[in-house]
Amino acid sequence: MNSEQAAIKQAAREFVAKNIIPHAAEYDKSGEFHRYLLEAAKPSRIFAMAVPKEYGGLGYSPLTQALVLEEWGYGCCGMATTLGASILSMESVLIAGNDDQKRRYCKPMLNAGIGAFALTEPAAGSDAGAGEATAVKSGNDYILNGPKCWITNGGEAAVLVVFAATDVAKGAKGLSAFIVEPTMPGFILGDREEKLGLRSSNTVFFLMKDLRVPAANLIGKEGDGMRIAMETLDVARPTIGALAVGLAQRCLDECVKHLRQRYPAKTYPGESLQFELADMQIQIEGARQAQHHTMRLREAKQPFSIESAIAKTLGTAVAMNVTTQAMRLMGSHAYTSEFGKFMRDAKVMQIYEGTNQIQRLVIARSVLAPPKVAAPAMKVGAK
Amino acid sequence: MTYYLTRAQEALGQRAHAFADEFLEPIAAELDRGLVFPKALIGPLAAQDFLGLAAPAQSSVEGAGFIGHIEVIQALSRSSAGVASIVNNHALAVYAIAYWGSEAQKKQYLPALIKGEKLGAVAIAETGPTLGIGPDALLATRQGSGLVLNGSKTFVRNAGAADVYLVFGIIRPEPDNTRLTCFIVEAGTSGLSVWPRLVTMGLKACPVAHLSFKNVAVTEAGVMGSENNASGIASQILSVSAVASGAQTVGIARAAAEHAAAYAKHRVQFRHPIARLQAIQTLLAEMVSDSHLAWLGVQHAARLIQDSAPFEPEAAMVKLFLGRFGSKMLVDAIQIEGGMGICEVVPKHIAGSLPLARMFRDIAGTTLLDAPDDFPDKIIAAGIA
Repeated sequence: MNSEQAAIKQAAREFVAKNIIPHAAEYDKSGEFHRYLLEAAKPSRIFAMAVPKEYGGLGYSPLTQALVLEEWGYGCCGMATTLGASILSMESVLIAGNDDQKRRYCKPMLNAGIGAFALTEPAAGSDAGAGEATAVKSGNDYILNGPKCWITNGGEAAVLVVFAATDVAKGAKGLSAFIVEPTMPGFILGDREEKLGLRSSNTVFFLMKDLRVPAANLIGKEGDGMRIAMETLDVARPTIGALAVGLAQRCLDECVKHLRQRYPAKTYPGESLQFELADMQIQIEGARQAQHHTMRLREAKQPFSIESAIAKTLGTAVAMNVTTQAMRLMGSHAYTSEFGKFMRDAKVMQIYEGTNQIQRLVIARSVLAPPKVAAPAMKVGAK
Repeated sequence: MTYYLTRAQEALGQRAHAFADEFLEPIAAELDRGLVFPKALIGPLAAQDFLGLAAPAQSSVEGAGFIGHIEVIQALSRSSAGVASIVNNHALAVYAIAYWGSEAQKKQYLPALIKGEKLGAVAIAETGPTLGIGPDALLATRQGSGLVLNGSKTFVRNAGAADVYLVFGIIRPEPDNTRLTCFIVEAGTSGLSVWPRLVTMGLKACPVAHLSFKNVAVTEAGVMGSENNASGIASQILSVSAVASGAQTVGIARAAAEHAAAYAKHRVQFRHPIARLQAIQTLLAEMVSDSHLAWLGVQHAARLIQDSAPFEPEAAMVKLFLGRFGSKMLVDAIQIEGGMGICEVVPKHIAGSLPLARMFRDIAGTTLLDAPDDFPDKIIAAGIA
């Protein structure tokens, strides 16, 4: 971490302590969207941290973004998800959009607006290519029809990236990506979902009914949709790892704080407890490094798809383990406090942005790939 | 009849299953809001003989015993682990009075508790590092021939709803006494107040609150067992509770596995129901194996309790095993259902019930609580000779 990154991380920590931690429980309870946060974040322009400088943003590197997201995850993963999902949607445009699209899409982020990434449908969860949403060319427009569900930020976003089939017969290869604005006629917003965790993060169902989108909003070419979605998710997955690491670290810190308060006379607990706490920190640090490594690969423009899947799976598994273990160590104190939120938040993170099972498929594919260079045969009985 | 259950035990389990389907399933989501105590259920639960099984000699069900009790708890937990918590904590009081109460105390309390005319509760925990230490520890001082209680108890289940509390405290005529005494205190006794219920993560049908004692008078007849002799009672109650919580955990996990399996058979991705995927089959198989092995452990410990044999190491093993693997069963069940698994409210466009989010919060309560830093490992380790 260089000094600039350290300063950014510190600023994020202070922002989180002031604006997120004091309100997290209240918004978790109500499940209402934390709109106040967008206002509070305006002066720092943190919602534009991933917007390139040429489009007026802060242009933070992937690792710097991860440092900020870990701090936000430390405060509240529901609120951090709003920031993370907004960046995720923008990455689609940055990966495959033209200059005009990038400029247009990034504009709301400069003033704490948010975006949303709409891929999932009732019939297309892990099987992302099985959707029924269609986009039919009509003059200079495309007409979009179909449902989208579990869309993070979907009811609050100023802009969305929406995936729909321009060629149904081609399945996943017929998918295309469009920039959609919720003010466009035919965008019908459903209820927000009441979730187990990340409750104040806005999750909605929406329906597109003859929604007319200018052809200028097609990102890349027709049929590029699945490639764009996969590349976007590659970029986004380690950020979920960052949120999860923040959550796990928060849990461990709160657990230690509680144990110190409850057992003030014991400077050192018994070995069983010491080791359990150590194991929690081992897991957290491992997940943190896996995630930073992914960011560095990305910055070095090296392949990072596998590392990205590892960072997401490991980070969220660690968050689930650590939150569960911390509750076991704190017992009823945790069960009757805001602590339950940490466990509930961790569970949701194992599912969204590609379930951990889908990540394992990706990872296994690389584990089982034939080696590029044949390994020397093992010599049996050699000295 | 199976080789491991009597006819009476098997019948109880079936009755509890039917009771849960008819009376608990329809209101489980509403009870999960934690706003009201389901007082109206106490009568019907008693009418089914579910409230007195922990006192085999007094229960009207012949041949049921503690095995019968866990059959009931397991079955009720399939629909509402919160209601099972109410029954469980009531049963701990029933068990303790039946086991350690004087003839007069048994006569005074057990018939009413078994018939559901009175509800029981046990108050052990305090906010200090150990019992008797801390500014609000529950201490008893002598006054005439009786005792006066001052201080507070925390995380008391059935608090506010119970009529009879078994309260563990320390008599402090001498400053260094650490041995517990158990007092029977009835609700409404002058000086006893129940704080507003705490917001719990799950098991919300069962209220949890602090009890505050201000000069609460207890006569000699209100001491259960003998003075300074209840430390073992408290630890055995916690062990019985671990076994009964294990039955709750198994009930929740079985219902969750069934729900997830049904979902997996129905949910089509990659052109087939996801139940065909090995990854999903493995998750389901692990869930069912873990809950099955846990159930064998729970039944074994319950049999020891029923036979009045030493059972604390076996109860601790249940606690240790489920502390590690219990909540994982719901972590995996939810994973199978994905977005549907995390729904607290069924979305409008979906038909059917989505109970896994509630079960996830409930199972955290049946597996992760009541474990101070080195329990249960210490009890098990102490038994290895």
